[in-house]
Amino acid sequence: MRYTIKSRLLAGTTLIAAGFLSNAVVAQEVTIAFPADELGATSYNPVTSNNLNSAASLIYDRLIEQDADQSYHPHLATSWEESTDGMSWTFHLKDGVTFHDGSPFNAQSVADWIPDFADTENAYLVAAVASVEVIDNLTVKFVMSRPEPSLLYNLASTFMGVPGAAAFDSMGDDFGVSGAVGTGPFKLDSFAIGLETVLVRNDDYAWASDLSENQGRAHIGKITFREVPDQSTAFLELKTGGIDLLLGVPTPFLEILKAESNVAVIQMPGTGINYMPINVTSAPFDNIKVREATGLAINQEAIVASIYNGVGAPAHNFLISSLPEADVDPALNVSFDLDRAKMLLDEAGWMMGDGAVRSKDGVPLSVKLFTQNGEEFTSLTQVVQAQLADVGMEAVITVFDSSTIRDEYKNNRHQLAVRGYDWNNSDILDWFFSGKRLGYPNVSMWEDAEGQRLNDVAMEDSTNSDERIANFKAYHEYVLSQHLFVPIYQPTKNIAYNSDRLSVPDPVRGTRFRSQTVLDMAVVE
Amino acid sequence: MLIPVSISISVVIFLIVQLLPGDPIDNLIRVGSSTEDRKTLVLKYGLDQPLAVQYFRWIGAIFQGDFGEAIVLRRPVADLIAQNLPYSLRLGGAAFAFSSIAGITLGTISATTRSAIVENIMRGFILLGSTVPGFWLALLMILFFAVQLQWFPVSGAKGWSSLVLPVLTIGFGGVALVARVTRVALLDVRREDFVTLLHAKGLPSRTILFRHLMPHAMLPVVTILALRIGWILGGAVTVEFVFGRPGLGSLLIRAIGQRDYPLVQGCLLMLALAVMLGTLIGDVTQAAMDPRIRETKK
Repeated sequence: MRYTIKSRLLAGTTLIAAGFLSNAVVAQEVTIAFPADELGATSYNPVTSNNLNSAASLIYDRLIEQDADQSYHPHLATSWEESTDGMSWTFHLKDGVTFHDGSPFNAQSVADWIPDFADTENAYLVAAVASVEVIDNLTVKFVMSRPEPSLLYNLASTFMGVPGAAAFDSMGDDFGVSGAVGTGPFKLDSFAIGLETVLVRNDDYAWASDLSENQGRAHIGKITFREVPDQSTAFLELKTGGIDLLLGVPTPFLEILKAESNVAVIQMPGTGINYMPINVTSAPFDNIKVREATGLAINQEAIVASIYNGVGAPAHNFLISSLPEADVDPALNVSFDLDRAKMLLDEAGWMMGDGAVRSKDGVPLSVKLFTQNGEEFTSLTQVVQAQLADVGMEAVITVFDSSTIRDEYKNNRHQLAVRGYDWNNSDILDWFFSGKRLGYPNVSMWEDAEGQRLNDVAMEDSTNSDERIANFKAYHEYVLSQHLFVPIYQPTKNIAYNSDRLSVPDPVRGTRFRSQTVLDMAVVE
Repeated sequence: MLIPVSISISVVIFLIVQLLPGDPIDNLIRVGSSTEDRKTLVLKYGLDQPLAVQYFRWIGAIFQGDFGEAIVLRRPVADLIAQNLPYSLRLGGAAFAFSSIAGITLGTISATTRSAIVENIMRGFILLGSTVPGFWLALLMILFFAVQLQWFPVSGAKGWSSLVLPVLTIGFGGVALVARVTRVALLDVRREDFVTLLHAKGLPSRTILFRHLMPHAMLPVVTILALRIGWILGGAVTVEFVFGRPGLGSLLIRAIGQRDYPLVQGCLLMLALAVMLGTLIGDVTQAAMDPRIRETKK
């Protein structure tokens, strides 16, 4: 008897001590700065919003997660099957998942959520889903109106984080602004548009994806996401401890950051490329030989080494190298070849005279080279200009802001342009080369019957992901054979953090910095 | 007078924004949406209509108190402005108070002290204050006070300590201007006959300064300060950006970059109103201070 009381007292003390310990953990607070392209979100409503930031991925969980190698991993859906004709998908859902408001996550939650997309700008994500059938409490079936090989990709997008249906309906336009309900590892505490978002830990969380080491609740108790528009200010905040982690650090800043003793840098494989579209309707680029020569004149390896200090990778075709469609016939990849570039220009009739610039019938080979403002593009454009000069092409640089330059494209006033995109799906080829979008996004102004046919096949006739890969690869190869652009660089996504305060898993899993990484992050004491 | 000015301002604001190359829809659509989606959006926001129609629709809605909805940011413009205005007012108000108090004090010191050294330091300060650009000064302030000395936070809008550096940055130019005007005005008034008379009567020079010189000298200072009300709100644009503060300026910069027409128009209209209100307040204060102006207005 005596013994039991003693052990009970002991157990009680342990519990109290544990309580103190967990209090200490609750006090763990971290401040994160959004990357520049995520600033200005006005809502955390994943269904209706057109701009969601990294914090949204912590409030909502997705059915499926995508890793950096573009493979798909189960999350709220534990497994899935696609019918052979691609006309239906069945998802098996994780048991025991609850929303922040306490309501359970089940098949009905998915069935209630998908129809909410109708008539929003995000409707295209589920446009191919005709109806959602509840098979049993944890099984749901998507009946398709056409095969959609991108369905898994779409489901892994932040815009397809699952909101709590009850709160979504009752809060209306305020959902995602004054409050938000998801199943994610963090709850929305407060949101001041343009200033900061405060998230607090969801203590019930026990359904992390296999991309995280930590399968329980997060180590960090409270996260403040801040909007700091000026990059220099953000860097100084990191240096002085006002910010613990900086997302989206521009590559030119890396050297300065690495020199700081308390700052650690993680480079994630990027999800886009920087490239130079060529306007095929504008002489001399209406001649395919001149276009090919332009591509051969660009030395991607030298650019990576000189401007980016070896960070990131050269790009030799239009897609990031982790996509299977990027694995094209090596002969079609665009690589530096100065002699062949000069030979092709000679063949096209642009001859080297006494000066440094080639000419044809007395007209010098002088072209317009556009780019948009920002350190990232302007220094790259200057190197491109120097490399073009080596083959006798004079490029005159004009710098525009990002809205004005689109207007120039649409009015067909451009010849060459240095720009970038950020998208880890091969349907980016359709976006930039479809004849339906001449000017912008089809900056190359390319309209071609065979190209459109291959585009239609890839976009509409693929019934499963293998077919889709083959079709997009064929389209990609045809686009490459026409020399419509010059691939230059695959940037990395850079994260910098205060290593005295924080531990961050390296490498970061997933295509972007999201909940799987935040779950594993911890404050160093 | 205010009504025709307001109408012409609204036309100018509308045209400036609409005639910029580029359009908001490109900042809205994402990879994967179709050309039809684009057309739907253009129709939804009435961007296919002639400019005159768009103008009258906009101004008509404003008369009913409706500033419209931001195209890219997706929130009612009035809400966005209401959320950001308090930050701007706090910053602007503090900067205004700082530049008036510090400016008048420095101007008075420089006008009354006869030391050549003080004179030269003041001149140098005034010259610097009127020429150094705000965004550069902001970075210097951060480097010195926030990074080296760590007295104040680098950026943000939490608490009063984060207000100090932006206020100093914006107020600096104002201090110099106000100091210069105060100095010149005081020196002018001192040459008046009645001042000589006051001295002859044997009044202490302190009483002469505060009771008799100041009320005269303050007239041009008030005019300058009134004009600065609008200037401070508008001039805060780059400073807000550097210090990562929300506010009308940050909102305007983002809206212009994305060509968010209704939002740019709303913000510019607010700034224009602030300038007009400032002028009005200046006129009223001047009339209250100077019986001569009251007389002529009657």
